[in-house]
Amino acid sequence: MESSYIIGSIIVAMLATYATRIIPFLLFRNREPSALIKYIELNMPVMIMVILVFYALKDVKWESYPYGMAEIIGVGVAIFLHVRFQNALLSIFVATLAYMVLVQNVF
Amino acid sequence: MSFLQIVKLTIPVMMGYIPLGMAFGLLLSKLLIPWYYAFFMSVFIFAGSGQFLALTLFASQATILEIGIATFLLNLRHTFYGLSMISAFKDFSWKKHYLIFGLTDETFALLKTTEIAEANRERVYVWITFLNQCYWVIGSVVGAMLGNILPFNYQGIEFSLTALFVVLSIELYKKNRLHKPFFVALIIGLFGMVLFPPQKMLILSLCLAAFVLIVFKRSMENGK
Repeated sequence: MESSYIIGSIIVAMLATYATRIIPFLLFRNREPSALIKYIELNMPVMIMVILVFYALKDVKWESYPYGMAEIIGVGVAIFLHVRFQNALLSIFVATLAYMVLVQNVF
Repeated sequence: MSFLQIVKLTIPVMMGYIPLGMAFGLLLSKLLIPWYYAFFMSVFIFAGSGQFLALTLFASQATILEIGIATFLLNLRHTFYGLSMISAFKDFSWKKHYLIFGLTDETFALLKTTEIAEANRERVYVWITFLNQCYWVIGSVVGAMLGNILPFNYQGIEFSLTALFVVLSIELYKKNRLHKPFFVALIIGLFGMVLFPPQKMLILSLCLAAFVLIVFKRSMENGK
């Protein structure tokens, strides 16, 4: 990987991230955000998050063994623990650990 | 509020940022990227999922433009955080630019949930943001360095990102007044994963989600 590619990407990612954080301060310095903007900002995050779950699973080979079983179990563990205990760290670590054990030792 | 009290306040974030930062650093070293880029990314970008996404896009050789668009769309949720911080940061000095820069999910959560006397607020806000970023930077640098030294089999550690997204999806589902967007996103995500080309899946699915959200605003708000 070329360093110019990485450095360019870092600068672009930095500007893109900062832009998302400064936009409301620039736009709504003196006025109230419109109802549509409020609606999008309230409801877009949950959609982004759910789509990111599928994005993270996009390279799984569902049609051949092990049919994404490690991923399904890992996601299942995360959902179960999080609904049950509502401790983000616990859910993430146990699910990741379970997944690592599965891909390293079982499948 | 004393410095020690501020540190105490940020401990939960430390417990999350150090291991997650390490996972980020490990993943970065797995892509054979030198460790100091972990430092630069965590200092200058400072966005958890945004940095993971950047690595994923590096691995698939995405163009710099795609990285910019994807990062922007992914972090667009931060716009919402900024919105509810406008009045809180209003009378601050130039330091508010650092606060805006460092407004991650976790920092936002801490700033929003901490009761601070008005006279102290700016100082405490800056310390919380700075401490959180320190944890993140330390975690990612240690992870990137250990990734090259420790003979530890970390195959599958990138699943922490998937688990993070699962957890945040549940959190946001519970917080959201409307529940339809969650289910619509489940369908779009599944559809996108199966039908869209993997490299364009994220951008296409997010655009589709925004489109559906706006066009079907009325039916989204109907019922629950």
